[in-house]
Amino acid sequence: MPRKHRVVDEKRVLRRLERFGKNIVDQIMKDQPPRIVVPIRTLANTVWSRKERILKLGSRKAIREFFDIGESKRFMQTVLMLSIIIRARREGDYPTIRDLYYTGKHTITYVDEYGRRRTEETWDTQRESNAVIQDIEVATGLLREHMGIMHDTKGKIAGNMIIRSKGSDIDLSRMGSGAYAIPPNVDNLEIRRVDADWVLVVEKDAIFHRLNEEEFWRKNNCILMTGKGQPDRSTRRMVRRLWEEYSLPVYILTDSDSYGFYIYSVYRSGSISLSYESERLATPEARFLGLTPSDITEYKIPKNFIIKATDRDIKRAKELLAYPWFKESKAWIKELNIFLKKKEKVEIEALSGHGFKFLSRVYIPEKIKKKKWIE
Amino acid sequence: MESYKGLSPSQFFYRNREIAGFSNPVRSLYQAVRELLENSLDATETHGILPEIKLEIKPSNNQNDKITIRIEDNGIGIPITEVPNVFARVFYGSKYVLRQARGVFGLGVKMAVLYAQITTATPIYVKSSIESSETEYEYRLFIDIEKNLPIVLELNVRKKRKKWHGTIVELTIQGNWPLARRRIEEYVRRTALIAPYATIRLITPESSIEYKRVSRKLPEPPQVGKYHPKGVDIELLKILIRSADRKMRLLDFLTKYFDGVGKKTALNFCQWAGFNPDHKIGRLTLTDLEKLSNKMHVYNKWRRPKPLTLSPLGDTLLKEGVKRILEPEFVTAISRPPSSYGGNPFIIETALAWGGKVPVSDTPMLLRFANRIPLLYDESVDVSRKIIDAIDWNVYKVKFPAPIAIVTHICSTKIPFKGVGKEAIAEVPEVEKELNIAIRETARRLRRHLSRIEKMYEIKRKEVTISKYMDEVTRALAYILNNDGGETIIKQKLMELLKKEIKRKAIVRGGIKSAAKAPCSR
Repeated sequence: MPRKHRVVDEKRVLRRLERFGKNIVDQIMKDQPPRIVVPIRTLANTVWSRKERILKLGSRKAIREFFDIGESKRFMQTVLMLSIIIRARREGDYPTIRDLYYTGKHTITYVDEYGRRRTEETWDTQRESNAVIQDIEVATGLLREHMGIMHDTKGKIAGNMIIRSKGSDIDLSRMGSGAYAIPPNVDNLEIRRVDADWVLVVEKDAIFHRLNEEEFWRKNNCILMTGKGQPDRSTRRMVRRLWEEYSLPVYILTDSDSYGFYIYSVYRSGSISLSYESERLATPEARFLGLTPSDITEYKIPKNFIIKATDRDIKRAKELLAYPWFKESKAWIKELNIFLKKKEKVEIEALSGHGFKFLSRVYIPEKIKKKKWIE
Repeated sequence: MESYKGLSPSQFFYRNREIAGFSNPVRSLYQAVRELLENSLDATETHGILPEIKLEIKPSNNQNDKITIRIEDNGIGIPITEVPNVFARVFYGSKYVLRQARGVFGLGVKMAVLYAQITTATPIYVKSSIESSETEYEYRLFIDIEKNLPIVLELNVRKKRKKWHGTIVELTIQGNWPLARRRIEEYVRRTALIAPYATIRLITPESSIEYKRVSRKLPEPPQVGKYHPKGVDIELLKILIRSADRKMRLLDFLTKYFDGVGKKTALNFCQWAGFNPDHKIGRLTLTDLEKLSNKMHVYNKWRRPKPLTLSPLGDTLLKEGVKRILEPEFVTAISRPPSSYGGNPFIIETALAWGGKVPVSDTPMLLRFANRIPLLYDESVDVSRKIIDAIDWNVYKVKFPAPIAIVTHICSTKIPFKGVGKEAIAEVPEVEKELNIAIRETARRLRRHLSRIEKMYEIKRKEVTISKYMDEVTRALAYILNNDGGETIIKQKLMELLKKEIKRKAIVRGGIKSAAKAPCSR
């Protein structure tokens, strides 16, 4: 029985945003200098929750006071962004973060303390406006998707499942050679039915399409997904929902290199910069199917298919070893040490040396059957 | 056979006029103006009169190298019988007493007369009257160089038509006005700085500048004092003994003629120096005098010289003077307590001006004065320059180029000049120490001022920073509230809050201890 997912109620989102703003006005009316309390989003306030096995935001909060000249600009930006988001919600618009950047970009003219006329932009770069959006997310506990903010998506999904979106049922097993493009706000989708035993997430788009052409998901009764490299928020959210609501095991397939390992790490535990969303985006039980550094010998990858690891790969792998979820896994320590020792990386396609169907007919089924994944 | 003959003082100075500053047409014109202006000031301020001086410089008969200088003052005037001697007899004057004065030897103005006489063959014109006199009198005078005596060409005496006192002097000399102009104007400007109680009008072919007095307060005039025993030499001893009763005992001589010497001090000194206090001074031999002079120098238990002979300007007047001439944004002045070097009392006064119309430069601008005479030359070798250049101005928050000027004034019965030029003060340790203390104290006050300004700007910056975002914030909040009229109310409230915040900050920054009790925003 799937766990019930509640579609986000737009009215509630709007109320919560308004409450956040009204709270500031209330302070002013009570003759208090206005301030906003925002949980800190830096690495120093990111903690590893062993119990939940995800990265979470710590308890430290920053108090942003309008009358503190070091923070008054950020305060103004936060309130400005809040009003723009509220307007979009009131008017039923779905702006992108770039739209928000442009909508809020004004020129302020003023006279400085020496009497000179000067101008200043409400924000100069999108970095600044993005940072404010993140502040509002953590301060209100709402994700940007809930607030109707769009972003580029690149995730795809195919398999035996039916979803409902904007009143239509969509059968993801009937997409032909194509696949369903995962939309920005995954929580607005209603998953009506899932008929699958597990989820396979592949790093590469090309591999996804090859497996989709072979109808791999139909033959193996699974859901096939890709995040096209480093996954975006909606792909991660979709993976999480399938695991959380349908208890499906999730397998991640990437190249055997530091970059691939890190992609797994993001699906599993979240990224540091978005640690406040881990609870909604991370899948702590995701399994790493391969390719592992020990696969190189195990599956007799030809020597000329092996790529030498660069200094950056090595540096990255060392960093991964320090991550708590890798540090606490014997299998991962073993694999990462092999990688660091041999300094060898391979792509998924290297398995094609054993034939094009080796991946779908042998490698994946065998690894799952023999439980040769690592966590 | 060679003929020997003595030179009269007039002859001596006629032959060596460059010693007195009359070396060329530029310098001579400058020097003549100086002498006349200083005489006028001495005739007024020293006698409790607020100076009212008019100085006029005009080319004579369209001849560019002949310049007529005319000066009018409201001084005490010169008694009718004294005029010829005062203006036309070298080494004759009222300044042969021990007190601070601009000139000492009564030489300057006579040099100007002498110079006029030899370069343009014109006599000096003097009109004067003293307050108690019913008459006013006009003289035209030459100097008999050979005999060092005045030659009166003309004398008119009239009944005064209106009540006045003072002196008018006019003389025509060879000079170069275009080249001397800047120096003379600067000299008058600086004189106006050090004499804020004086109204000085300078009329030149190009312009008429009036420095109106900014204060009606005159500094205490100096008193005539006695010599300090540390400052004597054999010649002085001889002069003093000559003027005294030859039968006077050494003990009485010391107590009567020297500053701060009582009976006890005199006895102690005699005992220490090996002199019989009852010795008659007329019986002292040259060897005795040499020994006495040396011992008086070395003895270290004399009382400090009394500064009554000095007339410092005082910090208030100095500040007024600096304000009127430099028009700075900030000015501070110090008048140090009296000190002495080698038996000569002296007082150091300094001022520091910042901002406003003070010119911006890479090093502090320096204006030096000695006994209220501006020193325009040889700044680079002056002790004040040395001290200023040795200071690390960063310590006082001064970053060059900066609008900073420093004024130094030394008052003494004997100014420790460096060399014969009388334009630079020598590095006498006692003087250097006093200058250092005074300059650094003014610099500390400047630092306090700059810190206050900095804090003021900091507060202002805060206000500006927050105010500039006010519109964005209130507009956004009013929209969020869904309240069209809300913007005005929110803005008004926020402005009130900001004002309170700024006020609170200003109080805390101002260092008022009760800041904690200041009205809180809640």
